[in-house]
Amino acid sequence: MEEIQYFGEHLWPKNIGHFLIILGFVSALFSAYSFFKSTNERLKTGDESEDSESEAWKRLGRLGFAFHGLSVFGIITIIFYIMVNQFYEYAYVSQHVNDFLPMKYITSAFWEGQEGSFLLWMFWHIILGFVVMVYGKKWEAPVLSLLALVEVILISMILGIQFEIGDSVVKIGSNPLLLFRDTMDIPLFQNADYVSLLSGSGLNPLLQNYWMTIHPPTLFLGFASTVIPFCFAVAGLWVKEPRAWIKPALKWSLFSGGILGIGILMGGAWAYEALSFGGYWAWDPVENMSLVPWLLMVAGVHSLLIANGTGRGIKTSYILLSLSFIMILYSTFLTRSGILGDTSVHAFTEMGLENQLVLLVALFTIIPAVVFIMRRKIVPSQEDDKFNSREFWMFIGAIVLLFSSILITASTSLPIYNKIAEIFDPGFTGLVIQEPITHYNKHQIWIAIFIVLLSSSAQFLRYNGRVTSTFKKKLLLHAGISVAATIVLTFIVNIWLDINSVPYFLLMLAGIFGIVSNVDYFIAFNKLQWKNSAGVLSHLGFSIMLIGIIASGVNKRHISKNEFVFRDIMEDENLKKKVTLIKGKPIFMSGYWVDYQRDTLIENERTYDIKFTKVDSNNQVLEEFMVNPVSVYSNDKTEIVAFNPSTKRYLHKDIFTHIAGLPAQVLKLEYSKEMEDSLVYQPIEVGLNGSYENDSLKVTLNGLDYDPRHQDYEPKENDLAIGFHIQVTDKIYDKQYDLKPVVVLRGAVVYKYYDEIPDLNMRIRANEAFFERFFTMESELEYQQFVIKEGESITIEDVQIVHNGFNKTPKNRGYKAEEGDIAIASILSFRTNGKTKNLEPVYLIRGSRQSSIKDYDPETGVHFKFTQIDPATGELTFQFAKDDRNSIQVPMEIAMNVPRSDIIVIESIEFPGINLFWLGSLMMLTGMLVAMGIRLSSRKVMD
Amino acid sequence: MKKAYIIGIIMIIAGIGFLISSASDVSTYANFKEAKGNSTVKIAGFLVKNKPIVYDPNVDANLMTFFMEDKDGEIMKVTYHDSKPQDFEMSESLVVTGKIREGEFVASDILLKCPSKYKDQEFMLRENG
Repeated sequence: MEEIQYFGEHLWPKNIGHFLIILGFVSALFSAYSFFKSTNERLKTGDESEDSESEAWKRLGRLGFAFHGLSVFGIITIIFYIMVNQFYEYAYVSQHVNDFLPMKYITSAFWEGQEGSFLLWMFWHIILGFVVMVYGKKWEAPVLSLLALVEVILISMILGIQFEIGDSVVKIGSNPLLLFRDTMDIPLFQNADYVSLLSGSGLNPLLQNYWMTIHPPTLFLGFASTVIPFCFAVAGLWVKEPRAWIKPALKWSLFSGGILGIGILMGGAWAYEALSFGGYWAWDPVENMSLVPWLLMVAGVHSLLIANGTGRGIKTSYILLSLSFIMILYSTFLTRSGILGDTSVHAFTEMGLENQLVLLVALFTIIPAVVFIMRRKIVPSQEDDKFNSREFWMFIGAIVLLFSSILITASTSLPIYNKIAEIFDPGFTGLVIQEPITHYNKHQIWIAIFIVLLSSSAQFLRYNGRVTSTFKKKLLLHAGISVAATIVLTFIVNIWLDINSVPYFLLMLAGIFGIVSNVDYFIAFNKLQWKNSAGVLSHLGFSIMLIGIIASGVNKRHISKNEFVFRDIMEDENLKKKVTLIKGKPIFMSGYWVDYQRDTLIENERTYDIKFTKVDSNNQVLEEFMVNPVSVYSNDKTEIVAFNPSTKRYLHKDIFTHIAGLPAQVLKLEYSKEMEDSLVYQPIEVGLNGSYENDSLKVTLNGLDYDPRHQDYEPKENDLAIGFHIQVTDKIYDKQYDLKPVVVLRGAVVYKYYDEIPDLNMRIRANEAFFERFFTMESELEYQQFVIKEGESITIEDVQIVHNGFNKTPKNRGYKAEEGDIAIASILSFRTNGKTKNLEPVYLIRGSRQSSIKDYDPETGVHFKFTQIDPATGELTFQFAKDDRNSIQVPMEIAMNVPRSDIIVIESIEFPGINLFWLGSLMMLTGMLVAMGIRLSSRKVMD
Repeated sequence: MKKAYIIGIIMIIAGIGFLISSASDVSTYANFKEAKGNSTVKIAGFLVKNKPIVYDPNVDANLMTFFMEDKDGEIMKVTYHDSKPQDFEMSESLVVTGKIREGEFVASDILLKCPSKYKDQEFMLRENG
């Protein structure tokens, strides 16, 4: 095939980008190898001097890692550059950007795609790697060797190399800098100038909010940070220093736990606040698989604390930290391989990276396993823990968290078993979890009860179980106080929450005990010292979070149920959760009058104003507030693609409201046209200031509007738009409605814009035949001639005319200037029916011919022609005619039985105590970061 | 850590207990024929696009009816007592949870699988191109 020379393509980003991807891959490999050699040299010779072999390899490793870092930053910069400059010839740009995408969402568009999110992940690894390079000391080489190896596999995901082995094509990675024409073969690319034709599909409107700007980078920092404790653990055994890695790994684990937790929490907050999921957690596979590494990291933190305090639990720490990182990789595999299929709402689409992802998981499972087996002897064995020691119960806690992770992973991996079973038995039909939320809650609730009890009691014990008898007495006393306080508080809280299920009641009891005993511990045992407050903060936060979960989850209540509607004989009480609101017609639900008052469209968001009025049994107003849910239109505004909820917040509860449905004709322009076409319009005739009448209606035309507004009409130059002031009287209820349908003549096409009365299910519009009557045929006009001079005035019929001078460059709709024309327009001002207007008829000499071009004002119906100039006397001759506007009969059309469009379906839910959830989880995660901060600031003392 | 072994054994027993108790939580996708047994089932299938999908919030915000074809080709009317999920008409395949009642399948939950509208191998041209 002949090679086509394309114009307008920018090829340098592709060329430099491809080079950087290769460089990034090779330099990561080089860095991993150099750091590996450095570590092994030191291990062999023990030589740490400046000119040792080990140091030389280390310098090479640094160089390699620096090149890798610069390559990745370079790739990211290039992708941003082509996105900002909208080079649509690149597939990645065309898929994630369009002309209308605001710059503030450019980062969101960048990490919307798989390749971008891999780059974001690598970006954080590199930043963390640099931190270890600067502060890692002797850990630098082994940790970075592993980290660089992780980077080798990650960057291979964007390598985009294909080669053939036998008959099969092996594809390694998906390159984000591919040209569109390299990804598909369509006739468009036969056009050498195809670039100027391309546009982009843009960012999914659902993702155009600030959560998409902050949630992914935080979550990916959390993901990325799990690699560092893992590297320290492997490095510790590798260099045969089974204890020394504990302290740095502990700081990094606390950081990782805190950030990953915040990332997950942000996802929950996004789901709750901006999406219409109606909750913050749904046990979706993607959510589960980010929770599991976090649970393992928290278990790892506790295990490291034991190791730090007593020297025991090193192997457990090693296993937990390795698992945490492996589960990050496994979660990457699950969410990016497409294997979750229809079980998850937010899995990525398939990209053919399955094999690479499997390799990633397998490699980083084998490495820690091999190191563990080779070095298991160097970890000193210790005597058994005592039952009354703190470490024993912390250890149990860590194991229970591991257990919880295994259960969640086992259930979430169901699609994997199905895939495997299908290989052996092609007829196998996949298993699915019937009710995921019930399924997960059923087990995790017991684990939560156990963990909260452990976390609140174990801290009273001491490491190694050293207890004096006075301490024992104090402990017993406080245990008694806590139990008593818990019982009293549970009684009070249960009045508020009214929990009927036994497991939830026990969880509430345990949560309250957690709050009481943590407060007690902080005051009576920790003596209000901030230095050791981090653990208390986290444990107290966890207890508060559990109460928040019970309050908002078990006790959520639908406000949106219409009590007057006949209740269906359904077993499931949860049904009938949505209510239809008609604009301006308040209805009563669950103690509130709810009134949908108006809606406003700004850009591609329609905001609904809904007023809630709380009344008591005597209909006395207790409280009023507005909620403003939003519906979001697609980028081309032809359909509604998303709904954003609106929440009224109180300290003790939230009232969450979202649009759950709209009539089909409102959702999509296509359906609206279909509906308009399916209506049966009946023709009627109405004279100006006259009316049409039938048994139930009277339609009066009160005048014409020559500058009309209509919600669907966008004015353009040279349009003739006419609105009709219509008054409809409902004769049965004696009610009057004012309407204004609009008709527009654009070129030779007539556009009709209807107006409607939803209460009467009626629509009215003008018939296109209107313009035939509106314009009088030229041959039927009765012109009369008049002669005036410049500056003079004259009155004909009821029209006062003044000659206001000449215009030598006339702009008249009927006149197109040509070379050699002599054209002159007279500016005629005239006044009729209280309106003053200007017209500019043209007198034209073209070649030897002279002619006149008329000017016309549709509103007053005045026509002028400029027919003669007498240069000698300065007398100007005009022709004047006027349409009869008062006797015009307007052909209109009305349709009845029109489904109303001014309705919305809402769902409104009350979430009591949801702030306890946010407060508690934030306290828990802040506690981890505070603990890291305390350890960092006292590093000289502690190291 | 001898005690650790004891804990380990307890965990394994508890784990097996949990798994046994969850066995009833999972099931395969059923078809309409199997659904006639009057227990709650999940059915995977397709929306029948040439039969009416009725949802009119003017009449009832919590009532939608449509026709669905299961994997064996049996077509049945489905009633869903909730509002119509977004992009319902565009769904490639769907999974309904519920049971048969008076000759209709009454769904308590619907899961849609929609073609990705914004991504995939599609391309956009300029309107005035």
